[in-house]
Amino acid sequence: MKDSLTLLSRIPAHPDSRCWFLAWNPTGTLLASCGGDRSIRIWGKEGDAWVCKSVLGEGHQRTIRKVAWSPCGNYLASASFDATTCIWKKNQEDFECVATLEGHENEVKSVAWAPSGNLLATCSRDKSVWVWEVDEEDEYECMSVLNSHTQDVKHVVWHPNQELLASASYDDTVKLYREEEDDWVCFTTLEGHESTVWSLTFDQSGERLASCSDDKTVRIWHQYQPGNEQGIVCSGTDPTWKCVCTLSGFHTRTIYDVAWCHLTGALATACGDDAVRVFEEQPLSDPQQPTFTLTAHMARAHTQDVNCVAWNPKEPGLLASCSDDGEMAFWKYQRPEAY
Amino acid sequence: MMAAGGADVDAGAPGSRLQPWERESAAQEAAEGVKAGTCTILDVVETLGSSLENGDSRIRARGLQMLSEVLLQCYSVLQEKEVTHLVLFSENRLKDHHTVIPFVLQGLKALSMCAALAPGLAVSVLKAIFQEVHVQSLLQLDRHTVYSIITNFMSSRETELKSLGADFTFGFIQVMDGEKDPRNLLVAFQIVRDIIVKGYALGPFAEELFEVTSCYFPIDFTPPPNDPHGIQREDLITSLRAVLTSTPAFAEFLLPLLIEKMDSDIQSAKLDSLQTLNACCMIYGQKELKDFLPSLWSSLRREVFQTASERVETEGLSALRALSTCLSRSVLSSDDEDILESFLRGILQDCRHHLCEPDMKLVWPSAKLLQAAAGASLRAYYRITSSVFPLLVEQYNKHLQSSQRRTILEVLLGFLELRQKWDPEEEDKSPLLCSKGALCSMVFSALVEPNVQLQLVGIRVLTFLGLLQGLLDHLDVARLVDSLAQFILHEEDSQTSLAAMEAAGTLTPFYPEIFSRCLVRKLSEGLHSELQEESSQFQHDRCLQALAAVSTHPSIMKETVPILLQHLQKVPKGSMQAGIHSVVSVCQSLQQVALQCKKNAQNYWYFHQAVVPCLMGLAVQAAMQENTHTVLSQVLLKEDSLSAMVLVISAACMYLSPELAAQSVSKVVPLFLDGELSFLPGNSFPSTFQPFQVGWDGQHPVATQKKLVALLTAFVCALPRNVPIPQQDRLLRELLALSCSCDCPFTATAAAKCFAGLVNKHPAGPQLDELLGAAMNKLEEGLNEGPRRSQALTLLLWVSKALLLRYHPLASRLTDKLLVLLGDTVLGPAAGDGFALLMADSPDVLGKSCHADVRLMFRQRFFTECVPQLVQGFHTASPGVKANYLKGLSHILNHLPKPVLVTELPTLLPLLLEALSCLDRVVQLSTLHCLQPLLLDAPLVVSLHVDTLVGKFLGLTESPAMAIRIAALQCLHALASLPTPVVIPYKPRVIRALAKPLDDKKRLVRKEAVTARGEWFLLGTPGR
Amino acid sequence: MVGPALAASPAGGVALENANPLIYRRQGERPVTAREEDDELPDAIDDREIFDLIRSINDPEHPLTLEELNVVEQVRVKVNDAESTVSVEFTPTIPHCSMATLIGLSIKVKLIRSLPERFKVDVHITPGTHTSEHAVNKQLADKERVAAALENAHLLEVVNQCLSGRP
Repeated sequence: MKDSLTLLSRIPAHPDSRCWFLAWNPTGTLLASCGGDRSIRIWGKEGDAWVCKSVLGEGHQRTIRKVAWSPCGNYLASASFDATTCIWKKNQEDFECVATLEGHENEVKSVAWAPSGNLLATCSRDKSVWVWEVDEEDEYECMSVLNSHTQDVKHVVWHPNQELLASASYDDTVKLYREEEDDWVCFTTLEGHESTVWSLTFDQSGERLASCSDDKTVRIWHQYQPGNEQGIVCSGTDPTWKCVCTLSGFHTRTIYDVAWCHLTGALATACGDDAVRVFEEQPLSDPQQPTFTLTAHMARAHTQDVNCVAWNPKEPGLLASCSDDGEMAFWKYQRPEAY
Repeated sequence: MMAAGGADVDAGAPGSRLQPWERESAAQEAAEGVKAGTCTILDVVETLGSSLENGDSRIRARGLQMLSEVLLQCYSVLQEKEVTHLVLFSENRLKDHHTVIPFVLQGLKALSMCAALAPGLAVSVLKAIFQEVHVQSLLQLDRHTVYSIITNFMSSRETELKSLGADFTFGFIQVMDGEKDPRNLLVAFQIVRDIIVKGYALGPFAEELFEVTSCYFPIDFTPPPNDPHGIQREDLITSLRAVLTSTPAFAEFLLPLLIEKMDSDIQSAKLDSLQTLNACCMIYGQKELKDFLPSLWSSLRREVFQTASERVETEGLSALRALSTCLSRSVLSSDDEDILESFLRGILQDCRHHLCEPDMKLVWPSAKLLQAAAGASLRAYYRITSSVFPLLVEQYNKHLQSSQRRTILEVLLGFLELRQKWDPEEEDKSPLLCSKGALCSMVFSALVEPNVQLQLVGIRVLTFLGLLQGLLDHLDVARLVDSLAQFILHEEDSQTSLAAMEAAGTLTPFYPEIFSRCLVRKLSEGLHSELQEESSQFQHDRCLQALAAVSTHPSIMKETVPILLQHLQKVPKGSMQAGIHSVVSVCQSLQQVALQCKKNAQNYWYFHQAVVPCLMGLAVQAAMQENTHTVLSQVLLKEDSLSAMVLVISAACMYLSPELAAQSVSKVVPLFLDGELSFLPGNSFPSTFQPFQVGWDGQHPVATQKKLVALLTAFVCALPRNVPIPQQDRLLRELLALSCSCDCPFTATAAAKCFAGLVNKHPAGPQLDELLGAAMNKLEEGLNEGPRRSQALTLLLWVSKALLLRYHPLASRLTDKLLVLLGDTVLGPAAGDGFALLMADSPDVLGKSCHADVRLMFRQRFFTECVPQLVQGFHTASPGVKANYLKGLSHILNHLPKPVLVTELPTLLPLLLEALSCLDRVVQLSTLHCLQPLLLDAPLVVSLHVDTLVGKFLGLTESPAMAIRIAALQCLHALASLPTPVVIPYKPRVIRALAKPLDDKKRLVRKEAVTARGEWFLLGTPGR
Repeated sequence: MVGPALAASPAGGVALENANPLIYRRQGERPVTAREEDDELPDAIDDREIFDLIRSINDPEHPLTLEELNVVEQVRVKVNDAESTVSVEFTPTIPHCSMATLIGLSIKVKLIRSLPERFKVDVHITPGTHTSEHAVNKQLADKERVAAALENAHLLEVVNQCLSGRP
């Protein structure tokens, strides 16, 4: 486990502020960061160094909580505590704000593009999840307002290859939604966490979903289609999601983010105890009862809470993290040889 | 026409073609004519005749204006006949067109000031005004004229006006009814006050008169910005209050009004009402108050119980005290109802039960109300305390928590403190005497509780009980003294033992025998115990402190001083360090005794005679014996010990009368100059004492004897200025020689200080000039080269200071030398530090307590003379010595009054910024201390340099020296008070940078960082 | 209670929830020790130091400090300097006090502004002293909601008023 995670570089991304979130563009060449200073920064690699390519400063009045790239890589969406979501269009190096989505009553906490690029989801402290439709002219129209959660919705994420949406909430649950006759409905609620669920990540296949929580655990949920071999009961045609593994005892404070690498299958976490950790499924474990092993533990990855971890989508093992200390760090993850 | 006084007035239309300034000069000329007697006022009237009677009211107005202007200038020379004529004319004109009236009034105002006003005319004028003029429809200035006429008549024709009876009062009521202008109101209020105070008849109009004034209560007036009249809200309040509280006749109207306003939500109305109530209690009797007492009490109680404002509380309490005082004043005849009694009963009823809840919010307001009522008179005090004392005792026994008990004792203490307001009187009827037994056992039980706070209050309560003469009996006092002794000798908590010592000091003059027997003896025994362990050293220190503290009575002092002096000679076995510690402790106690007896000349003289020869004798003997190496002599001759003795000798001399001082100094100087030992106690001096003898330097006997010059310094420099010093010239020359020739810095400094101290007081004249000439030569010689340059620098500094303080012309020659020395690579840093010595208040030889000649503005003088040279010196100096200049500068600035600094700041600030970058820590610290108040006082100048300041201060928060880190953080805190737009751009940077000192290893630094960072967080945010 | 009930309040005529709270005596200033004045010796951050940071916070409703209302006590402050953790329990004056979250927020903000960034700060209600204990604790622990609250001008104003020194 020693030396499995090595620091490549560390950059004061949002000095005098906290850095909340990082997002790689689909080709893995650009990294967007956002933070309490109300700005978005776009980072690109020049030689060995990561440099700031542009600063998107004028869009929001308050903290920018999350950012998301469109699947085509030409748009960036940003969610802010000012209750709006901005859509930025990339022209060469520059970005221009082309739309501001209003409607949430208060802080927008998360934003995510569907794999098709035609749908966008946002969520807010107002307890709702909104699904927006994008047309050819960059017009955004709200399709659906989902009020299934009873509290603050912290995170939304799309299934990697289906039109399926997942949300995590302060009400300790995860909810899954699908489209039904031009509207969106919640078809299942994943219960088990004992406190706020902060973030979610699908694995490369979309069969599995990992969630992390204030209860200091990560849970792995597995999808069972109707008529599955294991005999897990499903209602109607909807699949059932079942918790097949709980990673507990590893983290000492709130886990703010979890990220599944679609290239290597490694699972990284960002924790309020300042550490970055990486887990891997044991090669021979039972897929229905998988065992995950801690393969990397960087105890003082940052000087304050780690808020986000993000795997580069093209370069295996390249991990970015960011923290309340305003810095972001790039790490090289190498699977320990014993594996 | 010209004959009419030379005024070139066109009678057809006077003034119609005249511009205002022309009219003025015409009036001026006419007035001059009247005054000179070249014409009469009636000539002027005649000249103006046609215009005064013109059909056009505008022309009449101008004519009357002209006339009134003339009258205002020459009313004092008018004849009675003329005045009568003019008055009747004017009265008649009052019926005229309203545009004319103002000028008629102007004229009447002039006439009202005439001494030659015939009897009856004043009344007639006033009647005419009351009848014909609707005053409140006039302009402000014209209304003011009416008030002036009335005021003038009231001061000169009082009897006449009084003959009008209540009509005058009624007339005036109508005049001022509806007045709105603050300038006029001030005059009107004064008139009303005079009407009342001077006894004009109010008749049936008392209520009307009250109404017409009280309608302004409470005053709600904010002067407009840049008000040229300068009338403040306070002026109106005071003036109106004087009216409202001028007569008991208003009581029935005023009291309900006050009660109503006290109940309002506006704090200023409450305060005004309470203060007004307080004022009217001065003149009311119980008759006026009686019917309103229940309402007044309930309003006052509410204000004190519920207010969040300390001012309202304070005023409420003082109003209650005033009420109670007023009721206490009334003589009680046997069949009268005792209103004070029933008033106090009500207060007790409402407040007493809150004293039973010592941890509830209302306990303190209730106690304060009761204390306010009790503080009015001894009678009220007895009434309240006879109920409260037993209650407090009962509650004390009922509540077991120490915090509750402490509250109860603190309440009790408040009542005891009140008792001091009245002279002691036979305590036989006093509730204190009745409750004495219970109170004493309660307080004594508090003393044995483990809670320090409770003990502290207990000690204070006992002190007050002890101060009430005749209250405590012999046994009580003995018990009290025993308790104090217990605390002093055995209590580990220093707060408690200090409080016990203080109490002992306060009570000793009242019970000297008991303290002598029960405390002094124990303390003396405590000193006898063997000094071996640390714990016994601790106890010795306590005993020494306590011996000093109780020396507040002559008989006790005569016991303690010998004990202390004897202890001085008892050197503890063990280390040298312990010996020095013991000597220093004894000396501290002796010093305290000296200060305690300084007010009593007899005791002070006893102290002087007992202590000074003894200390000198011990030191001289030690200096002679030193080569025989007794421990005592070694200990006594250590510089720390000598310095402690210096303070005692100084304290024992500075308050002597010139006569006694002269008597004593005539023995001390011969001791040092001629080795005259006869006045020292003891007679076994093995050799001769010759401290000034030029011997082989470095030889022991001589060198040690020389050190004792410090004691001589303490003695002669503490004496009053006019005490003749025997052989002064010889002494000064010996001192001068010693200061420059001695290798030992202690001795050299003592000699230099002594020289400086005497020079400062030396009368001006050829003798002084000659002496200073010699000193200059010595200095030149000493500073030039040789092994003792630093001794010469010390002498230079002290003599400079001595002369600087008395504005001696030679001072600047010396300070010039000092400035040159700043560029010296060896002496430069010490010279820089020397500026602190020059600027600071001297605690010893050149201080005010030593009767030095200290002029008020010496610092400003020095600043003005020196700073330009310093600045120039800095710029031309080589890099290696620049810091010395900055050091000097920052010391000067640090001691200057802020206003001086603020004006000089624009030119000095760049240099101060440079000083911040200087690597010398003394310079850094002193510059920070100098800058910190300026950041608050000169924000505009400082704002120009904010960028540099933020950077430098942040840099210094990482200094290795804690004091600098603290000072830098205090400066950063102060920076946050600059105008927000100036500093807001730095907010993120400062907040980020201050995160680091939050984790400083020193708590005191962290504390400053927290404060500063908190302030920066608030910058530019709501709720700051 | 003698006299008319408390009607006036700093909040402008609205009756206070707890109009007559118990008032506790303030501790004196921490005396400065010789050790603290020594330039070299480090002083660990201790419970009293944390308590000193929060005891002078003003109550949002009363003109009193949290210490005077016994909302904070030194015994309910735990700090571990070596492990960089601070835990503070506070006790609302009454079990249904609607100001509990605001008081907790003020304590948390004061500590975050005043402590080295390495510290993890936990602020909780003293167990069993408030009807919505769990909900309040959860809100105070959610740093995202705390951050958003401090961007709300009104809330920030109230918090700053609680944190600014007494006039």
